[in-house]
Amino acid sequence: MDNVLSARALMGLSLGFHIIYATIGIGLPLMLMIAEGLSLRTGDELYHQLARRWVRPAGVLFAIGAVSGTILSFELGLLWPRFMAFSGPLIGLAFSMEGYAFFVEAIFLALYIYGEQRLSRRMLFFCTIVLSVAAAVSAVFVISANAWMNTPAGFRLVDGKLADVHPFQALTNPAWAHEAVHGTLAAYVATGFAVAGVYALSLLRGHRSEHNKRALTLALAVASVSLPLMLVSGDWSAMTIAVQQKPKLAAMEALFTTARGAPLYIGGWPDPATGTVLYGIRIPTLLSYLAFRDPDALVEGLDAFPPGTAPDPRLVHPFFDLMVASFFIMLAPAGWFWWLRWRRKEVPLNKWPLRALLLASPFGMIALESGWLVTEFGRQPWISRGYMRVTDGVTPQTSIGLVLFTFFVVYLALTVGLLILLMQPATTEEGAKTTQGDRHVDS
Amino acid sequence: MWTLDTLAAGAVYFGLVMYAVFGGADFGGGIWTALASGPRAQEQRDKLFHAIGPVWETNHVWLIFVVVTLFTAFPQGFAALFTALLIPLVIALIGINFRGAAFAFRHFGRQTGERIPFMVSIFAVSSILTPFALGMAVTATATGKIVFVNNWAQAGPWFWISPFTLVGGLVGMAICAYLAPIYMTVRTDGELQSDFRRQGIIAGLVFGFLTTVEIPVAMADAPLFADRLLTVRGASFVALSVISGITTLILLWRRRFQWSQITAIGTVILTITGFAAAMYPDLLIGQLSIRAAAAPPATLRAFFIVLVTGIIILVPSLLLLYWTFRGEPNPKLPQ
Repeated sequence: MDNVLSARALMGLSLGFHIIYATIGIGLPLMLMIAEGLSLRTGDELYHQLARRWVRPAGVLFAIGAVSGTILSFELGLLWPRFMAFSGPLIGLAFSMEGYAFFVEAIFLALYIYGEQRLSRRMLFFCTIVLSVAAAVSAVFVISANAWMNTPAGFRLVDGKLADVHPFQALTNPAWAHEAVHGTLAAYVATGFAVAGVYALSLLRGHRSEHNKRALTLALAVASVSLPLMLVSGDWSAMTIAVQQKPKLAAMEALFTTARGAPLYIGGWPDPATGTVLYGIRIPTLLSYLAFRDPDALVEGLDAFPPGTAPDPRLVHPFFDLMVASFFIMLAPAGWFWWLRWRRKEVPLNKWPLRALLLASPFGMIALESGWLVTEFGRQPWISRGYMRVTDGVTPQTSIGLVLFTFFVVYLALTVGLLILLMQPATTEEGAKTTQGDRHVDS
Repeated sequence: MWTLDTLAAGAVYFGLVMYAVFGGADFGGGIWTALASGPRAQEQRDKLFHAIGPVWETNHVWLIFVVVTLFTAFPQGFAALFTALLIPLVIALIGINFRGAAFAFRHFGRQTGERIPFMVSIFAVSSILTPFALGMAVTATATGKIVFVNNWAQAGPWFWISPFTLVGGLVGMAICAYLAPIYMTVRTDGELQSDFRRQGIIAGLVFGFLTTVEIPVAMADAPLFADRLLTVRGASFVALSVISGITTLILLWRRRFQWSQITAIGTVILTITGFAAAMYPDLLIGQLSIRAAAAPPATLRAFFIVLVTGIIILVPSLLLLYWTFRGEPNPKLPQ
């Protein structure tokens, strides 16, 4: 395989893998915090037990997140040394800050997991607060590095060398704010729905315990509060991208020709050969309105950019649509659940609402991964937009295809191993029930 | 000497030392898991696992600290290192990956009791592989075989395999295998303590032997490094590490375990310091100096602002961690 393609595939594989674990590492602490907080406030022990039962999966997933994050930090150098030699002085700061946040996270997770018999309930609650904040902060910082690749800032290039370096300006680059907000909220939605799915399945299988009902309600509450905020932050992101990253917007929306009153295409397959969208639903002027709040606004299409400087819409538009579609796939069952919950003043245990939730449960993660792919594919062919192409950032080493193959096998082995372990929930559940609180807890 | 770039190099050195002293012991635990023998082999393994359980993730962060500091403060050096050392770093990475996963899986799968022997062997093999590959990668920077052509690092694909780096890899393993049993002597008692004491003494002798051998090997294989090591500055660290190592052996012999733990850490720190002193003022010996590899001053200033802020947040957090888990380990606590 081509060296650049191998490097991209490996980076993509590693990130796609890491994102799942990192996301849960952001979402789960928030749920721990809410459960511990509720337990303290209401004096209801069940909430505390709920949180303690999440400790073990949290520990394992956090560990895999840490290890896969280490792989990524190495791959920055192994695959993209030329890019790092250029950008290290600028995005290194974001990674450093993320590192400290991660360190704090590791410390307070250890305190929370191992400190149950040594710390008061208030102190345990405090640990979950620090944990949630540190997790969110580490996401926000690491996203800054990604945002910098989209909207590089904080430097000038003089004869191909960095000059006027302002690392804090690089950190607070233009795309950071909307990416960080949208990305962090997405982690809450994805984790909330994933956890809700686990408990929906458990309820469907007839384990109608108070524990399962509360866990489902709590997880879905976190997801449902974040879900409308995703719409708001997504809209903000699109409007910002329309100004900052015009080629990405054109590729996202499969807009081939620059137009006033640009149409919005829902679905369909963009065909660059003919410059049309096949089988898509076309809504006139909606894109101009959504992007600029003006139905007559001029939106630049892919034809506005010189050849070889804009992304391929075939890789961007479908993932964008998948992300947006996931939103509605999650919205409907969540709405149904809360409606029944409100009507009956009790967690609905009917088959179909729970089945709908179960079906929707992976879509938070699907939306997050596709949103990430939109950002990355939408930046192509640049590794640092306007300054360095992906092909110029790659390592001069030639055997990257072999490295890709090696890591593919490694990830496969890890995933198979994890699945085998997660597929034995019955024995673990029973073990957790019979041992009181602390014995089953380890990481 | 106290310029921002040497201070940043000091941060890399500090990260390496912390990783060796904390993370190294975790790898050592894995090595002795493989080498455990005698009637109490299973007990030894269990104790090692329990000791590593709560701390390995925190200890692991030091490696990430080194990598991030390298690419923030020494982007040119980072690019050169990670280009030339692709293969050993990939090997180390695979080891880190399987080790972490095996550890996590072992804990998670504990109740079922299945597959544990398999996980243990994965854990042990990757604990041997990783410090060996990292030791080779670190010592490869001292060979002077990574050269710059048109501002870009070049080296033969297998340059990192030489007598000097092979011994370097073994030294990496020896550091780990040395620290783990010595740390364990203060966490155990009775026969188990004697087992770990014996392992500590054996590892100490091997560690001393390997570092002694490395000096003549360096003269043949990494001449510039050997020259600098045998200046007053380098040689004084060598002498101090020898004294510290012998003291540790005596203390172990006389069962002064608390003290031997301190001098063992000292021996490892002094060994790494001797290496760093012989490398100074270069990042890649003879080819790339710390100054030439350094990021622009604005970045270095920002790096230290973040470092100080980070320390202000981290130190109380770490103190809370150690204060909470002070005293005897609670046997009822999760392992």
